[in-house]
Amino acid sequence: MLFWILAATMPIYAGALYMSYQATAQRLEHDAERDADELAARLAAGMDAVIRPIEGGIRTVASQLEEIDPPQEQYPARIRGILAAWPDVYGSTIAVEVANENAAARQPYAPYLFRRGGEVAYSDLATASYAYATLPWYRRAADSQLPVWSLPYFDKGGGEAWMVTYSVPFFRRLADERVLAGVATADLDLNWVRRAAADVPLGSGGMGWLVSPPAADSFLTPIGPTPRRLQAFDASLDANAVRVIGEQMLAHGVTFRLLPKGVTAQPAYLAARSLQTLDWRVVLVLPQSELLAEARRLLRRQLWLGAAGLVLLIAAISFVAAAISRPVHALAEAVGTASEDHLGFTLPDSPRRDEVGVLTAALRRMRDSLKNHIELRAANLAEQARLEHELQIAASIQQAMLPKPGSRELPPEVRTAAALTPAKQVGGDLYDYFTVDDTHVLFAIADVSDKGIPAALFMARLAGLLGVVATSGKSPDRILHEINARLVEDNDACMFITIGCGLLDIRNGHIRYASAGHDAPLLRTAEGSVASLAVENGAAIGIDSSAEYTAMEIVLAPGDTLVLFTDGVTEAWMADGAQFGTERLVTVLSEAKDGSSDALLRHVVDTVASSARAADDLTVLALSWTPRGVTWNRSEKAMRWLIEPQISNVGVAQTQQWLRSILAARAVAADLINDAELIAEELLTNVVRSLDARGCDSRMSLDCELTPTQIVMTVRDDGPPFDPLALAAPDLDADISDRSVGGLGVTLVRQLADSCRYSHVDGHNVMEIRLHRTTV
Amino acid sequence: MPLEIVAEPSNPSTLVLAGRLDSTTAPELEAVLDRVLKKAPPRLVFDLSKLEYLSSAGIRCFVRARKALEPGGGKVAIVNPQPSVRKVLDIVKAVPAGGIFKDIAELDAYLDEIQRQVRDRD
Repeated sequence: MLFWILAATMPIYAGALYMSYQATAQRLEHDAERDADELAARLAAGMDAVIRPIEGGIRTVASQLEEIDPPQEQYPARIRGILAAWPDVYGSTIAVEVANENAAARQPYAPYLFRRGGEVAYSDLATASYAYATLPWYRRAADSQLPVWSLPYFDKGGGEAWMVTYSVPFFRRLADERVLAGVATADLDLNWVRRAAADVPLGSGGMGWLVSPPAADSFLTPIGPTPRRLQAFDASLDANAVRVIGEQMLAHGVTFRLLPKGVTAQPAYLAARSLQTLDWRVVLVLPQSELLAEARRLLRRQLWLGAAGLVLLIAAISFVAAAISRPVHALAEAVGTASEDHLGFTLPDSPRRDEVGVLTAALRRMRDSLKNHIELRAANLAEQARLEHELQIAASIQQAMLPKPGSRELPPEVRTAAALTPAKQVGGDLYDYFTVDDTHVLFAIADVSDKGIPAALFMARLAGLLGVVATSGKSPDRILHEINARLVEDNDACMFITIGCGLLDIRNGHIRYASAGHDAPLLRTAEGSVASLAVENGAAIGIDSSAEYTAMEIVLAPGDTLVLFTDGVTEAWMADGAQFGTERLVTVLSEAKDGSSDALLRHVVDTVASSARAADDLTVLALSWTPRGVTWNRSEKAMRWLIEPQISNVGVAQTQQWLRSILAARAVAADLINDAELIAEELLTNVVRSLDARGCDSRMSLDCELTPTQIVMTVRDDGPPFDPLALAAPDLDADISDRSVGGLGVTLVRQLADSCRYSHVDGHNVMEIRLHRTTV
Repeated sequence: MPLEIVAEPSNPSTLVLAGRLDSTTAPELEAVLDRVLKKAPPRLVFDLSKLEYLSSAGIRCFVRARKALEPGGGKVAIVNPQPSVRKVLDIVKAVPAGGIFKDIAELDAYLDEIQRQVRDRD
């Protein structure tokens, strides 16, 4: 946090400091420049102050000459007065005008008094060699009729020295006219000027010169301590070049500027001023470093102050930020130790009334309510786990109610296979099968109207009732009736059950079947065709106590399989959104290669599991009747059953029964079944009788082949070759006392069969009987 | 359904057969016939209205009864056989055509006629 506060505030502070620094620097620079400018002005004023009284004195003399017009003889006295009054004046003259026709004098006269060796010397300038009226100091004042300073000149023949002269014209009043009477002058020795300049105080820094206007003989003299400072600053500085630049500046009205590079070794400013008296200038070179030294010092101090302020600011911010962040950090650490298992982190007892205090209180409330919530959830989870466990137990109990492979002792003639997949842990589906008596097996499939625990409990009642009611050996319609009567009582939950219940006679494959609102079972024949049983459905169990049920009878041939299922199969959802449906189930069953109950069950369950998603409990029960001694196989043209009975009358009776079942299961007409059975009995009885007589280990079999048009029965035995057809037919019309009791069976066979043929093949007697097939 | 043989005490010469009469059950009838034929009744009636199946083993019982009774002037009659049974009886001519009756009443009328003829002859 501290970092971010500083990161945000520092640039602002630094920016403000920088702008302030810039403003101050500019201001200081400006001030320094102004000071330099003023210094130049002050120097100029200092020089003016020396010269102005001299000007004033000469002008006063000139005006006295004009007013008083003293005689020429008094001129030297007056000049002497000038020299006495202004010791700085080197020499002075009053030169009379002679060119003017109105002039008083006709002879040139210019008494000149000047200082020499501490005394005042006299000389008259009016000589032939020194034609003063033509010299600039005279001519300019005379022509302009105004006081004027001369340029520096070497006064040859006069003072014999470099000097400048202040010339003031004076006039004489003639009538209304002022006419030039002469020029009064005061000479200033340039050595004096040099000394005067050297005496001018220059201030703490800079180098200055007093310079004459640009002319052939320009004069230039350093001011004050300039020579000494020049040595320190730049000994090679060309003062004349500086003078030229100063002239240019003044010509443009500029008094202060930075010197161009190359003029001085270090950057420097140049200030220039004109004197108000002499037409001279003061030029002042100021090294930038000196000029700005003070400004720099000030700025440096400001920087130091700024830096100190910054340090103080950081310290203050740190202090304030720490006051906020420390408790927040402490809170964060405390909360950071929290986990689902450990919510007992301690929060500081915060008496603070600020945001941190509010936050702490809020965290405490959150911690406590979270703790409560987690405890509650843990309790819920434990409860859920307990329920889950109980459900698992319930599921295993329910599974235990169902017969497992081998758990029910069934006669070998019955094969069952079943699967139940509950949609939830426990389900409302049920299947069961068990032996009722020596000759009957009961099987049932049921579906309670709901899923889950209520359905499971109701189903448990049903399972118990089924066991009790069915063992009485009653027909399925009666069983359903009784179960219904008992379940309707106290059925406050208004649950109901659809159930299909069948009783199989293991001797002959006959099934009595009754249904209470359940899906009709499918019958897959040994031939592979599949059809739905035409079941007459009664009301679902548990609704109407007066409900009645009707049993139907079907006959299984060995190899036929009855498939019972709950709607969990047909109502399973396919990937394309359609239901699995009965038609698809029929297709699946008829496409199965192996028609055994086990294989069919596996095929159906696998197909549903792989192609559909069960929405409900899913139950399949497959049942087939497989009497020992009967095998079957299927060819393209025909279906054949091979019956290999024991060699006895019992075996013959069984064979008859099975044959009858096979034919009945294939809807062969009743009288034809009767004929076939009779033929089988006659032939097999004969075989048994003949084999019995031999008393050895023999075999016989009846092969029943069904084609669409014929019933072909073939009886084989490995007894001694014997052709019953070869026997003479008994005389049926003989007197009763002469009649033979035997031979009637063969007669019956001959008469009933459409054809009969005996052969002896591979040591076997083979009798083949053909019957024309008619159906019901 | 196996064979059921009922001989009413009031009318011992009539055996009502129900169920199947085949090689398995024929011995039962043989045993009954052993007892009945010893008494050599003047007539023996088999009521076959409830007989569902008949094979040659059963027919032999009828032939044996005839052999036992007819030489002594006795008479064996069959009453009301079902079509499938009648078909078998006819094929092997187990009894003469006149020995099979539609029902007991027809048989009684026939017997009355016989008695009347005997009386007339006497």
